[in-house]
Amino acid sequence: MVPPSIRRITGALVFQLDTPLTLLLLLSLTIFSAILVIPLASLLAKPATGISMDVVRGLLEYPYVAWPPLGEWVISVDRGDHKLVILRFKDMGIIPNTLIIAFSVTVLATLIGVLVAYVSARYEFPGRALLRILSLVPLLYTPFVNAFVAYKIFGDNGILYNAMIWFNLGYALEITYIAGVILAQTMMFWPIVYLNTLAALLQVDPSLEEQAENMGARGFRLFRSVTLPLSLPGVAAGAGLVFIFSMEDLAAPIAFKVDRVVSREIVRAIVGSRDIEALSVEVVILAGLLLVSALLWFIAVKQYVSLRQYAMIVRGGRWKPRVTRPGLPMYIVIYLAVFPLVVFSMLPQLGVLVYAFSGSWLGVLPSGFTLDHFRELLRDPNVISGLRNSVIYSTIAITLIVVISTTIAYVVSRVRVIGVGVLDLLATSPLAIPGLSIALGLVILYSIGPFKGSFLDPFSNPAVLIALAYSVRKGPFTTRAVYAGLQQVHQALEEAGMNMGASRSRVLFTIVLPLIGLNVMAGAIVSFVYCMTEVSTSIVLGALNPAQAPITYVIYEYVTAGYGGGAFIHLAAAIVTLIMVLQVIAITISNYILKFRYAFLGV
Amino acid sequence: MAEVRLEGVSKYFGRFKALDRVSFTVKPGEIFTLLGPSGCGKTTTLRVIAGFEIPEEGRVYIDGVDVTFKKPYERNTAMVFQNYALWPHMTVFDNIAYGLKVRGYSREEIRKRVSWALELLGLKGLENRYPLQLSGGQQQRVALARAIVVEPKVLLFDEPLSNLDARLRIRVREEIVLLQRKLRITTIYVTHDQEEAMSISDRIAVMDRGRIVQIGTPWEVYSNPANVFIATFMGRSNVLEGVVVGREANGLYIVDINGLRVYGTSRESLGEGDRVKVVIRNEDAELLEEDRTSPNVVEGKVVRASLIGFAIQARLLLDNGEIIAIYLKNKTTINEGEKLRIYISPEDVKIYKSLETVEV
Ligand SMILES: Nc1ncnc2c1ncn2[C@@H]1O[C@H](COP(=O)(O)OP(=O)(O)O)[C@@H](O)[C@H]1O
Ligand SMILES: [Mg+2]
Repeated sequence: MVPPSIRRITGALVFQLDTPLTLLLLLSLTIFSAILVIPLASLLAKPATGISMDVVRGLLEYPYVAWPPLGEWVISVDRGDHKLVILRFKDMGIIPNTLIIAFSVTVLATLIGVLVAYVSARYEFPGRALLRILSLVPLLYTPFVNAFVAYKIFGDNGILYNAMIWFNLGYALEITYIAGVILAQTMMFWPIVYLNTLAALLQVDPSLEEQAENMGARGFRLFRSVTLPLSLPGVAAGAGLVFIFSMEDLAAPIAFKVDRVVSREIVRAIVGSRDIEALSVEVVILAGLLLVSALLWFIAVKQYVSLRQYAMIVRGGRWKPRVTRPGLPMYIVIYLAVFPLVVFSMLPQLGVLVYAFSGSWLGVLPSGFTLDHFRELLRDPNVISGLRNSVIYSTIAITLIVVISTTIAYVVSRVRVIGVGVLDLLATSPLAIPGLSIALGLVILYSIGPFKGSFLDPFSNPAVLIALAYSVRKGPFTTRAVYAGLQQVHQALEEAGMNMGASRSRVLFTIVLPLIGLNVMAGAIVSFVYCMTEVSTSIVLGALNPAQAPITYVIYEYVTAGYGGGAFIHLAAAIVTLIMVLQVIAITISNYILKFRYAFLGV
Repeated sequence: MAEVRLEGVSKYFGRFKALDRVSFTVKPGEIFTLLGPSGCGKTTTLRVIAGFEIPEEGRVYIDGVDVTFKKPYERNTAMVFQNYALWPHMTVFDNIAYGLKVRGYSREEIRKRVSWALELLGLKGLENRYPLQLSGGQQQRVALARAIVVEPKVLLFDEPLSNLDARLRIRVREEIVLLQRKLRITTIYVTHDQEEAMSISDRIAVMDRGRIVQIGTPWEVYSNPANVFIATFMGRSNVLEGVVVGREANGLYIVDINGLRVYGTSRESLGEGDRVKVVIRNEDAELLEEDRTSPNVVEGKVVRASLIGFAIQARLLLDNGEIIAIYLKNKTTINEGEKLRIYISPEDVKIYKSLETVEV
């Protein structure tokens, strides 16, 4: 007996859709269930079978928690002609380390992101357009290599250290270990807060600020009492994403040699195990914690990241935003703090280029401009196989994404049924769900029972799951673009089609899709690039069968092998350079097509 | 030719009742107009008939078949949308041919029928243009061609003239009537313009806040409005408050308006002492040159006079302190401050009970 409310919902659905569309919707829901919902549920349910008091007690002990903390906060070494200060941070164990890093990075990234967004939204100054473009550079995905560049600059015997020696300052600085991770991740992630805050600021009705000013609020007081609260949803959404990205980041901990964080623990456990039984329950709990904290953030900011909200934002400020000329102190802040900060954050991307085009980079300066690394790529069987796999997986994923995203965006924007809100949530949530949790959930679910040994079993055949995971994780970029396009298509155009006797799906194919084809294409391009750069599931699933591993896994292998600046890092940088070029092309095209000002928004 | 019948149709948007037990029957081949102010539910009624909205209560029949729960594409209605809803990515030809393609006609047949529609609407030569390359009037015709070419059972028009300029509006509405006379397709037409409604309709249904308040020929609705709302909506009129003080043997009521006595008629049966509203149309006042005293002759001082084209509109301050607006034809000059004497036939004085009653 079906509950009446469900019958009413399905009844209304079937009435408003038609058979083909209903089937497409079912297909989409099936994929979401199979790749997202059920794996995550099994991840959360899994510990229930193996948990015991011992496990809980174990999680409060080393290596999960280290109390008192190990190591030194700061080490200073007297080296005769100079004093070396090494900023490190103590090791407090896997769980506290991860939370402390994520928390510190979130706070720092939020401060920087809000500052830059505020300056860029509210002040008119020479170079503003340049600032806006430059602040997007750190968002270019440069899997792993960016963190190694940061290490090269700040870490042991780094450029910073050597520069200070060269200037003969009498002391020198190295930022390593957890302090280095915090620094590197802050550089990588603050633009996410910046973009979300900027979009929110451009949305604020200027008359609200004018009103407050009229009542006597000025300067920082105006910012704190009116501007900030009004843009808070954007700040919160950005900060939430940074928190999640930081927790699941692998690159910076690898580069700065931090072993004890959740992300590395998960990857180490999976990569080292030959079947699912070998996975320790502790690791599953860690991945569950990752998932739960991400979900809490997501639920807190869900309205802001929903399709509806996004479509509103991409149409840009409905008002002409308030811009003022900065006063002298603000000019100083802009040119002496904001600009240097932005340029500073571009260093990893620039460093990638240096690695890619130089013969070696051991000391401060690289030596020998060369294209050899790119030539070598073409001869390297690992790279060729990785690239081929990535292109195949991404192509399959994109095909699915186009179908699923169009269906979901169409249903969310056109069908009036209770439950459509859930669909919206489901479609956007992959943006915020850690890929490592998804990957582990997939491994758990598809390596047991009827799936063991089947074509879905990740231990023998990860390819299928990788492609499907891509389609779910990177689909939201297309869903958003399609949804935004649908908002531009007047509903009467569709009604006219049905009125002429065409069914819903015929209207979709002959009227709606031709009108929003460009949106679908632009979204698909962005999704494709992000599939090519996907890291978490690629590494976890790819490691189970390297022959089927995608290119990001190869990069991961090379950077871990090229520890300390061997030739492999140059090769990895060359691959990443190609990927950066791909991204710039894709983003340019899709921005051009969509006339979006913020195609990256919410990354 | 199909009959369209609505029986007790109600439509809610959330808790708001947009249609309240709407019932009417459109006779085969007639032009039936839904007339009412903006927001009264005209579009919603049309959308219920086309199948874009499913009513919570009531039934819709087309040609005797219950289509209440049929999908839009199963009803064979053809709608001309307010903004035309032409598909911007298709040429004029493809726009018109769409319904025929959906119905599976052969290429040859499609070409023939589209050609016929293009001819009929004077669109020959424009078939390869895109909608955005057409003028408003041409777009309107394409929308109309697209609708008639599929030989629908019912033609639905939602304020089709509202995007045209005033001159074009009158020409196009005449063309619509001629076309409809030729094709004899049952037509439901929506407008908020009473003049437009009167000029094109066989019958009019007046709507107010989701209800049908009167159905009749244009003349019936105009000359015998069912309530004060309709009386004031059809044409320009004055509404005065008064009390019934008597009734003549010939059926005329005598009403006291603030000391002024007038004779008038009512569709309702009134009793002495009833508070009433008295409606007098601007054009029903007749200027008297000679000095005559008889019932319904009133005197007033012109406080404002303005030319409105076919007549002069004068605002008269009556002896009892009320101000009424009247149209004066055949008079070239009126001076403000001048005293005028006017006569209003008791037939043209419409009396309604003050407590607004609604008749269906
Ligand atoms: N989809 C809808 N959701 C909520 N209210 C609606 C919707 N469509 C119409 N309404 C409301 O129903 C009333 C009637 O609308 P409509 O039929 O469009 O009026 P008309 O065409 O006579 O101007 C209006 O008050 C309108 O605001
Ligand atoms: Mg309307």
